[in-house]
Amino acid sequence: MFSSISEKMKDLNKKDVLTWMMNNAIFFVLIGLLIVIISVSPDFVSMRNFRNILAQASTRVIFALGVGSIIVAKGTDLSLGRQVGLAAVISASLLQAPDYAYRMYPDLPQLPIILPILIVMIVTGFFSFINGFIVSKFKVDPFIATLGMMIIVYGVNSIYFDRPPYGAQPIGGLDPRFTKFAQGFIDLGGFKIPYLVIYATIITIFMWILWNKTKFGKNIFAIGGNEEAAIVSGVNVVKYLLMVYTLAGFLYGFGGSLEAARIGSATNNTGNMYELDAIAACIVGGLSFSGGVGSIAGIVTGVLIFQVIAYGLSFIGVNPYMQFIVKGLIIIIAVAIDSRKHIKKK
Amino acid sequence: MKKVLALLLAFSLVFSLAACSSKTETSSGSDSELPKIGVTIYKFDDNFMSFVRRAIETKAQGKAELILNDSQNNQATQNEQVDMMIAKGVKALAINLVDPQAAPTIISKAKQADLPVIFFNKEPSEEAMASYDKVWYVGTTSSESGVIQGKLIADAWKEHPEWDKNGDGKIQYVLLKGEPGHPDAEARTKYSVETVVAEGIEVEQLELQTGMWDTVKGKELMDAWLSKHGDAIEFVIANNDAMALGALQSLKANGYFEGDKFMPVVGVDAIPDALEQIKDGLMVGTVLNDAKNQGGATFDLAFNVANGKDPLAGTEWKLDDKKAVRVPYIAITQDNIEVAEEAYK
Repeated sequence: MFSSISEKMKDLNKKDVLTWMMNNAIFFVLIGLLIVIISVSPDFVSMRNFRNILAQASTRVIFALGVGSIIVAKGTDLSLGRQVGLAAVISASLLQAPDYAYRMYPDLPQLPIILPILIVMIVTGFFSFINGFIVSKFKVDPFIATLGMMIIVYGVNSIYFDRPPYGAQPIGGLDPRFTKFAQGFIDLGGFKIPYLVIYATIITIFMWILWNKTKFGKNIFAIGGNEEAAIVSGVNVVKYLLMVYTLAGFLYGFGGSLEAARIGSATNNTGNMYELDAIAACIVGGLSFSGGVGSIAGIVTGVLIFQVIAYGLSFIGVNPYMQFIVKGLIIIIAVAIDSRKHIKKK
Repeated sequence: MKKVLALLLAFSLVFSLAACSSKTETSSGSDSELPKIGVTIYKFDDNFMSFVRRAIETKAQGKAELILNDSQNNQATQNEQVDMMIAKGVKALAINLVDPQAAPTIISKAKQADLPVIFFNKEPSEEAMASYDKVWYVGTTSSESGVIQGKLIADAWKEHPEWDKNGDGKIQYVLLKGEPGHPDAEARTKYSVETVVAEGIEVEQLELQTGMWDTVKGKELMDAWLSKHGDAIEFVIANNDAMALGALQSLKANGYFEGDKFMPVVGVDAIPDALEQIKDGLMVGTVLNDAKNQGGATFDLAFNVANGKDPLAGTEWKLDDKKAVRVPYIAITQDNIEVAEEAYK
């Protein structure tokens, strides 16, 4: 049956309408999913669910935008999840409530929230800078370079995490200001907007401008599309790769701090495997591993699709193990449809 | 147009999968009369928790509509599931935390929705428990598994004077410890030996090493100890059954359990494999962490509070001063093995 579908798909692009449908297949997947969920459980349509899904997608959008920029420049980043974990652990350790009994730094004064977040962004920015350095200078395949970094960062995080006075205890008792920073919301007369959604929106707009309106954006697309051509036309590839990795690192650092505040605690396992979710969302959202293709809207949609799956399928009571199967199928189907249009291009 | 249909067909494959499977979910169907109770399990494929989950499902049959969630060992996932369940209008939450430190976040979510919460199996801090009047806990006292194991050792020892091979009246023991720093490992190690001493039996520790809860490590350590101490070892105490089974393997390979060559081995957990060994008379005993009653008590409390009743109404459970129901551990030997087997049905 699948072969006949793909047979038919070859003819599909001939007509403009169908081409449009194919190019936006991912939106139809999202709409289709929503229809199924709503038809099973009509009470899914509520402001509260809508808000929950957006809030839950927020940190993931931030991570996906970071790794998405790297993917556009024909790279990838497997160290994302572990860097998020490092950011979560460091920010949590520096922002524990002053009256909490098991503080990692018993004598640490109460810091302004922004300070630990900046520290964390510098730390993850540094690790990501090294990623970029290894990839651009030593020409190590990004998959391998960041795989190594993933393991290194986990080691660094575990050393930081598992030490006196309390050893490998989850870091809890977070400063209420810090948890409110992520869990709070603006109340517009009963219409609540979570802070998380606001942060994610600002970052999305920022990234959209960066991708579409700046030299940086043009150059990362050029590098991803055809590196040799980019070099010939005078793009400083090393510089832009360093920039794109470091930028991703900043986003992991900020998002990782939010993750700690949102969860209310952090361990050295926080963020584990987030890279796969983020990369899958990017690819489902239309980015290509061969670089040079993609849009911010696609990434956001990709993240939302996975969030709708996770939230909606739990909401209508789909067996948790079955959810893995659906998630896997969505990745394969979405990318299979998507790759048809790239084949056509070549 | 045909092509569009083909495309839609591909999608519908996925969607129908999702839709169909939703019917197989949750034990008691979607009868809107029944109160909804939201349950999260820290990890569905955890051996012990899967039995607790089954006990909850069995008890809920026909009484409540369960919304079961697999938190996939990720606290962020669990928080999101709690948001989802609150949006779905559950009457009570039963939460098996991934990370006990995250309890305040869950409690604040429940507070905002004015929902009662029953935590189970992973205990929140005292402050967290005190921060909300509609929160209770179902679990065990971790020191108790050690105490029960100690009793089991003392009773067996008194019954079998022939185990005192050198006749000095002392137990020369080796101890396989779980992961260092793990509260269960520390408590079991401390209390099992202390209880034996409290029973008036003198002990001498020949070896104490961590086997990291692992069968292979347990076997390797036992190999080393047997070649070092040989028959001087009179008792093998393990913090869990997996390590006890490893020690058993090593003992078998070294000619024990043939003829009258015997070595008493005890563990904790009552995993099915260990029960087999107890039945065959190779292992002396183990300690059952009672999944059936933990799940049962969790459901009883959640069901009561979901209906706005006192959490203990109509049950035999008792709360301690930390608003907790403590389900007792049970010592398992050849004499009462059916109790443990019952727990796995």
